[in-house]
Amino acid sequence: PRGGSAAVMASPFSGALQLTDLDDFIGPSQECIKPVKVEKRPGSGVAKIRIEDDGSYFQVNQDGGTRRLEKAKVSLNDCLACSGCITSAETVLITQQSHEELKKVLDANKMAAPSQQRLVVVSVSPQSRASLAARFQMNPTDTARKLTSFFKKIGVHFVFDTAFSRHFSLLESQREFVRRFRGQADCRQALPLLASACPGWICYAEKTHGSFILPHISTARSPQQVMGSLVKDFFAQQQRLTPDKIYHVTVMPCYDKKLEASRPDFFNQEHQTRDVDCVLTTGEVFRLLEEEDVSLPDLEPAPLDSLCSGASAEEPTSHRGGGSGGYLEHVFRHAARELFGIHVAEVTYKPLRNKDFQEVTLEKEGQVLLHFAMAYGFRNIQNLVQRLKRGRCPYHYVEVMACPSGCLNGGGQLQAPDRPSRELLQHVERLYGMVRAEAPEDAPGVQELYTHWLQGTDSECAGRLLHTQYHAVEKASTGLGIRW
Amino acid sequence: MKDSLVLLGRVPAHPDSRCWFLAWNPAGTLLASCGGDRRIRIWGTEGDSWICKSVLSEGHQRTVRKVAWSPCGNYLASASFDATTCIWKKNQDDFECVTTLEGHENEVKSVAWAPSGNLLATCSRDKSVWVWEVDEEDEYECVSVLNSHTQDVKHVVWHPSQELLASASYDDTVKLYREEEDDWVCCATLEGHESTVWSLAFDPSGQRLASCSDDRTVRIWRQYLPGNEQGVACSGSDPSWKCICTLSGFHSRTIYDVAWCQLTGALATACGDDAIRVFQEDPNSDPQQPTFSLTAHLHQAHSQDVNCVAWNPKEPGLLASCSDDGEVAFWKYQRPEGL
Repeated sequence: PRGGSAAVMASPFSGALQLTDLDDFIGPSQECIKPVKVEKRPGSGVAKIRIEDDGSYFQVNQDGGTRRLEKAKVSLNDCLACSGCITSAETVLITQQSHEELKKVLDANKMAAPSQQRLVVVSVSPQSRASLAARFQMNPTDTARKLTSFFKKIGVHFVFDTAFSRHFSLLESQREFVRRFRGQADCRQALPLLASACPGWICYAEKTHGSFILPHISTARSPQQVMGSLVKDFFAQQQRLTPDKIYHVTVMPCYDKKLEASRPDFFNQEHQTRDVDCVLTTGEVFRLLEEEDVSLPDLEPAPLDSLCSGASAEEPTSHRGGGSGGYLEHVFRHAARELFGIHVAEVTYKPLRNKDFQEVTLEKEGQVLLHFAMAYGFRNIQNLVQRLKRGRCPYHYVEVMACPSGCLNGGGQLQAPDRPSRELLQHVERLYGMVRAEAPEDAPGVQELYTHWLQGTDSECAGRLLHTQYHAVEKASTGLGIRW
Repeated sequence: MKDSLVLLGRVPAHPDSRCWFLAWNPAGTLLASCGGDRRIRIWGTEGDSWICKSVLSEGHQRTVRKVAWSPCGNYLASASFDATTCIWKKNQDDFECVTTLEGHENEVKSVAWAPSGNLLATCSRDKSVWVWEVDEEDEYECVSVLNSHTQDVKHVVWHPSQELLASASYDDTVKLYREEEDDWVCCATLEGHESTVWSLAFDPSGQRLASCSDDRTVRIWRQYLPGNEQGVACSGSDPSWKCICTLSGFHSRTIYDVAWCQLTGALATACGDDAIRVFQEDPNSDPQQPTFSLTAHLHQAHSQDVNCVAWNPKEPGLLASCSDDGEVAFWKYQRPEGL
């Protein structure tokens, strides 16, 4: 997140989350209300506690026997549920998903018997790829092919592109908007519809404005989580594996995506497995390359994997409408066509108070038919939410993203200390835009999946695998008394 | 130094509670006080005494920590531990809450109006400083959320004539901010205090900034523009700020507030040792290394911590103070002879 001075060590999470840097060792916060389960062991109730020189705690029983006490750990998942800790905490001890985790799984695979091995799948986001392309001075196609090569070299079995799962996110968003727009007469809360792909925005909305804002947020899953469904349901079936036998890693431009992957809604109870097991930021992939002592540009390019049957793609594809997925553009053009029979060739944006807040209108004979906006960054999200609360939001749809300048500027993207950040961002945007855009309706493999995997576009399956829910977090009153 | 600070009167402004802060209106005719009783009181003179002209009681759910008048004097902003900032519009003796600014995650610690009257700044225990813009229809929009501090932000204050914002924090630093393109950025960090910085005050010219701290010192900082004669290094086009004077050894407890009189240049402090002190710059003081002398030291100004001191903007020497004891006191300061 780029909001203040570049000289200040900014939090890796989006401005909306404001968590302290996970890389530093930190102690537990006094704000943490997470109750930790302590296993009660049988025996006499009286014991003393001894603190060793290294800081570990030992329980000393009456008979002199000792037992090392476990440190209370707070997981990412716990943090999501807590109201005070994640956004205003001084310190929290969190177990982090990281490239170390991936290496552990790959190493375990090498040692394991074939029946115990896991199929490792990596899904790379177009934004992460663009950031790596900029860093290594390569074009997106070469970057995609060489990344595939690298991952397979270290033991990954398949490498996919989340631009494919994004087709579904966009299609579902389009359909949802048209449905809501048509149903306005029946349900006043239907509009505005707010985009749901950004977990920084979602976490903020759940914690701060709860039941007021949540009905307005699109239920369409983000490309990361659609890919989770695709890999752990469709692909697993194809590979004749249970979902827990697949280790699914995604490569994302921000840390907030790690929280998204940890949501209970994306945990498969039946098979006790997450739809996305591990999220690596672009920076963590870069570290992995360094630790493996691999120079990405020097690798032989590998053919790209594809989830849909048929020949593997020659080059990656993308979507129009900017580096955050293009939700506004896709929903706008689809709605214009579906609701009003109007074909929109180019979408014209009008900047408002700052470059992260822009609007788009569809007019006919002086009447405004559609009024959409994009609101990136915390200050614009604030203003949007306040307007909504006062009933003064004029928009039908808003593409909300937590990071100023959108996903290409996410907190997990590669930085270049020797380059002005604005120039680097423009370079990444250019590389991102170089990839051929494809309309989701026309993308090969998508319709087939709707038919064969999901049994139809509005099926129960589609609802379960392509949509999600949100949960308002109650603000716990701390009762810790007056704060100075 | 005896008689340099004389008590004019006391009022039990926030009975059974703390009085946290005071603000004189630009005309110097009214004093707003706020406290732990969640109320704001507006005081005015009637003859020789100060009477309560209005009570603003329906605005906040928790302690009101600071109040600030708009430059035009028609609005009052109040910052509260309930995480909101209320904007009150004055209609003779009545005040109506016209907007409530939400967004901070927890206690709002301070609010301040920019000299133009179009911008407002708030800061909070959530470590952020927000800049708000107000339009012709009294609508407020958040213009920037600044996350430069690493701890609770205690105070914000604007430069007297420029759109330059300063903030003080529990992270022991003072930060300065200015507008850059369509956002605000932190353009300077002032380090030196060894503990929480509680308050700030610019001198009448805006060239110097005073800060007070839990480390029991007051520091004076001076702004040096790029290409300055003194050869103070600047990075890029941003001015540099250097600490040119430290007042130490005068206060025995935390200094909670500092106020720089825009008429006389006198510096007043509010201290946790229940005392009020006044300092003045020595007549032949070197601008790059000024010296200040203690010209008033009133022990037991209040029966508990003094939280705020405020100079009247129109009447030289008229000082108001308030305390954890819930009282507001009015003082007359006269620079002692020969000092």
